[in-house]
Amino acid sequence: MASEPTVAELRELVAEFRPNAGHVLPSLNKVQETYGYISRRAIEVVARQLNTTPALIFGAVSYYSDFRTTPPPETEIAWCSGPACRLKGGDRIREAIQHTLQLPLNGHSDDHEYGFHLGQCNGTCTEAPQVWVNGKVVGNLTVAKAIELARDVKADS
Amino acid sequence: MNRTLENLILDAKNAWDAERSSGRELIGVCIDTSSIARGAEDTLAKIREVIAAKNLNIDVRVVGSWGFNWLEPTVWVRSAAGTHAVLYGNVTADRVEDFVQRTVVDGGVVPELALGVIEGNSLDGVGLIEDHPWMQGQVRRLMANTGVIDPGNIQHYLANSGYEGFGKALDMVDEDIIKLVLDSGLGGRGGGGFPAGRKWDFLRNATADPRYLICNADEGDPGAWVNRILMEGDPHLIVEGMLIAALASNAAAGYIYIRYEYPLAVERMQNAVRDAYELGLLGQDILGTGRAFDLYIIKGAGSYVCGEETGLINSIDGYRGMPRIRPPFPAQAGLWNKPSNVNNVETYANAPMILRNGAEWWANVSDTKEKGTKMFTLSGQINQTCCIEIPWGPTVRDVLEHYGGGMEEGSVLKGYQPGGPLSGMLPASEADLTLTLDPYRERGMFLGSGGIVYFDQKTSVVDLCTFFLGFCEDESCGRCTTCHGGTQRAVEVLRRIGVGGGRESDIEKLEGLVKTLVWSNCLHGQFAMTTVKLALRYFRDEFDMVIREKRDPSQSLAGLISYRVTRPDDPSIQAAAAICPVNAFVEKDGKLQIDDDPCIRCGACKELAPNAIEIVDRFPARATAEVTAAGG
Repeated sequence: MASEPTVAELRELVAEFRPNAGHVLPSLNKVQETYGYISRRAIEVVARQLNTTPALIFGAVSYYSDFRTTPPPETEIAWCSGPACRLKGGDRIREAIQHTLQLPLNGHSDDHEYGFHLGQCNGTCTEAPQVWVNGKVVGNLTVAKAIELARDVKADS
Repeated sequence: MNRTLENLILDAKNAWDAERSSGRELIGVCIDTSSIARGAEDTLAKIREVIAAKNLNIDVRVVGSWGFNWLEPTVWVRSAAGTHAVLYGNVTADRVEDFVQRTVVDGGVVPELALGVIEGNSLDGVGLIEDHPWMQGQVRRLMANTGVIDPGNIQHYLANSGYEGFGKALDMVDEDIIKLVLDSGLGGRGGGGFPAGRKWDFLRNATADPRYLICNADEGDPGAWVNRILMEGDPHLIVEGMLIAALASNAAAGYIYIRYEYPLAVERMQNAVRDAYELGLLGQDILGTGRAFDLYIIKGAGSYVCGEETGLINSIDGYRGMPRIRPPFPAQAGLWNKPSNVNNVETYANAPMILRNGAEWWANVSDTKEKGTKMFTLSGQINQTCCIEIPWGPTVRDVLEHYGGGMEEGSVLKGYQPGGPLSGMLPASEADLTLTLDPYRERGMFLGSGGIVYFDQKTSVVDLCTFFLGFCEDESCGRCTTCHGGTQRAVEVLRRIGVGGGRESDIEKLEGLVKTLVWSNCLHGQFAMTTVKLALRYFRDEFDMVIREKRDPSQSLAGLISYRVTRPDDPSIQAAAAICPVNAFVEKDGKLQIDDDPCIRCGACKELAPNAIEIVDRFPARATAEVTAAGG
């Protein structure tokens, strides 16, 4: 797990952004793209940079499901919740992976080694049902293959 | 036309022609999110490797998608003489070595992978791409460049009529541009169909400045990826469309709001905007005309209601992306409370063609009320998951049979969802509706932004309702109690029905929620119950059976089925027991059986032991008389 960025690093990272210019999402996205998540410290730095309150920034962070306030796990299985996947057994795959990893959706292991994430359809439906392992499509799954994948992820950590 | 632009276009065309007559082969590889999922990046890497290893003097171009999603990775090869080019499908990395040898080194074709000739005449038994059965009836206008030009190269766009529409618009007064767009009949492509010209005119007539244009690229409907195909395949089309709208409405700046799930689209749109600035097509003095328009890309962060225009505006403003209460409408007070106009990606993308070729040409492609072409993506239990561009008007069934390749083996069409979780779903008996706006409006639903999902008899309608209502609940912004509380209640009731706890009174409860949610503030709440409303109308028998008899005709509702070992001595049973994630297999009298209690009905065991395990109804069949007497 990467160490938490310092205030100085964060200030430099968001120095280009200005108040009242539509920069809330761009600055938060930049923080997350750089460090993988948005720390409490980052929220405070962004708030200062955009001349607003940490409460308002936290309000935005907590509203969007793709912003994270904790570091992402080392290995993440993101499950596609889209309709094509659902029609081909996606929900049974979710159930099986959750029981194999012993995690709820959007949960991660205590050591941040692996996690399970809710993913949204991006139109790669030829591969349904699918999951993304650290962003890479693992498609045309069966429930059995998904369980084996989850077992491997768990065993490797 | 503006002299600077004229020269830019001339230079680009010369460069394009020079490339064609370079005497070198050119390989085009589709790299977009759909093809990457099927290994296109490996294909591209392998092609480069083989070129280097064989010391070949040929060029490689990254291109967008032809829409043949199920045949990705697609690759085309243009001959050294520049006289013809052939498109191929399923060019996986392991085939590349042989493929390059046969096409480039030997100068031939690979008939078993060939889809059609995309430049030049048919050759060696390979027909023209427009004669490919899947291309029949398609009209490629919006997708004319996708799959051909490099989306990262503005010169390619300029060489293929790019920014010519904008050039024409520069010579027109705002009123004339609006009149032309109104004459064309261009309607909003996000699902509403509202005339784009009128929306632009509202903005033009706004009294405050500055005014803003917003492009809604928050394509959140699961099962729809038409906007992504355009942004990843031909990003300048959207930039040019917005520039034309800016001239028509005197907007000072524009924002393209792209969903978080589309990182490649974000990257390509950002590059397109950067390159347009560099050539002076964007900025404070566009091509020396004194006209100004700035364009920004905003990446979302995962919120479906940000696809609602006022939610999107709040999101760019830097607030939580909660839809606003209207009035005031965006045309009066939108972004930063200034006049704003929001259109879908596909709406803006049509504008350049209308300017270039005229309203009549653009409109004369079908005899429907809706004009121009429309892109659709098809998915579900079908043979050919794909993206098509067609004139309005064919039926849903035609499209399934012709472009979707029909239902998968073992699947029979049970129903379809015409456009996202808010649009509702219809049974197969309604699959002869034409793909136009009215038939859906008449049924209290709508044809959404273009994602059609087909489902089969193995699908439970109760499960689909639970799924879509769960989605609506998750994505409710929380403002209206009708919506956030209503969707919660609906999900509770549907889940209870799904596990065998359905009551006769549940139908009434759901119908009550249908009536209540329409009083929500925005479209999200107003249409959240459409799925249930239509399911109760068209799939009532199935609901009744699940509620009264606790039986599921699709045998897929986890709460109503059990898995049972029928052949404990079958050798496959050991593997089935080993895969079980909850250790539900127990030994009884020396034989393995499934304990119903821990079993989560994931079905992994039956995948491995299909002949030794069966699915049975969880609740014993009840006689009809008993059902009636018990009140269900």
